[in-house]
Amino acid sequence: MKILYKVLTIIFLFTIINFASDGKKYGKEITLKEKTKISEILKNPAAFEGKRVLVEGTVIGVCEKRGCWIRLAGDKDYESIRVKVRDGEIVFPLEAKGKKALVEGKIYSFVTKAKKKKGTKKDDKECEIEGTQKRIYQIKGIGAIIK
Amino acid sequence: MKVRKVIRILHRDIGYIAFALTIIYSISGIAVNHSDDWNPNYSITKDTLIIPSSINLQASSKDLPKKIIEIFQIKDSIKSSFKSSPVTIDIYFNKKTLSVNLKKRIAILEKVESRTLLRESNFLHLNNPKKIWTWVADIFAVSLILLAVTGLFMIKGKNGIKGRGKWLTLLGILIPLFFLYLYF
Repeated sequence: MKILYKVLTIIFLFTIINFASDGKKYGKEITLKEKTKISEILKNPAAFEGKRVLVEGTVIGVCEKRGCWIRLAGDKDYESIRVKVRDGEIVFPLEAKGKKALVEGKIYSFVTKAKKKKGTKKDDKECEIEGTQKRIYQIKGIGAIIK
Repeated sequence: MKVRKVIRILHRDIGYIAFALTIIYSISGIAVNHSDDWNPNYSITKDTLIIPSSINLQASSKDLPKKIIEIFQIKDSIKSSFKSSPVTIDIYFNKKTLSVNLKKRIAILEKVESRTLLRESNFLHLNNPKKIWTWVADIFAVSLILLAVTGLFMIKGKNGIKGRGKWLTLLGILIPLFFLYLYF
């Protein structure tokens, strides 16, 4: 019985410590001290490619199926950036939506080709634009704290 | 002590310990097997709401989120909000998101509910905790191997591995081989 009490006390203390900590941690420890504004990255993303950054923003989207990405709102209206993590390495919960997140990761890019719409003559030009290649910049997440 | 007796004791005691995890992993296995058809962790519902035509909402208004939740009589407190375009705004509550399109005058209210027990089972089964749990899961996997092997030699006679057992074991081996041949 004494052992049971000891085990329960340890679990209780562990829970208290866990909840008392400043937000929930995901992945590796955050090492960077200086934050970079998301607007700064989006202004000239190519300049940040391959660089490690620490960003902060509200979580406005979470991967519903695997929790393998989150989208962070920028410091300016209409701006956001996606943080992608390796599937299964970090799993973001859907409850993170609307919460503040501090994320450390590396900026990278890839080229995507948008799907071509079945268009009429009227929106042929629009189709051309949609069919063009687009370079997407996002953050390869290493560690995060969601408050 | 006879070998068969040791095997029986091992099978029995490992079986007791592995019981809970086997159930957890099996249920989670079924759940994630069908992840193309449903979300094994959350139940997500979406309701479409209409902004009455009599109400005029200004996208530039600073207290826009507050005005919107008054229209829909949402009692939850706002966590945060985000303007994704000049005419769209997302308002976040605890486990709820209201996505409003001012131009179309519609709003989608998304409610997220965690699937109790199933989400926790998936969390363990998919090794989301990592750290020491990885070792626990490895030990469990080894236990399953031991259960499988000791299970073969539990009994002797016509129902043992030398009798009916060998045919059933062979059938068990053929099942994965058949599907490998079919799909691999």
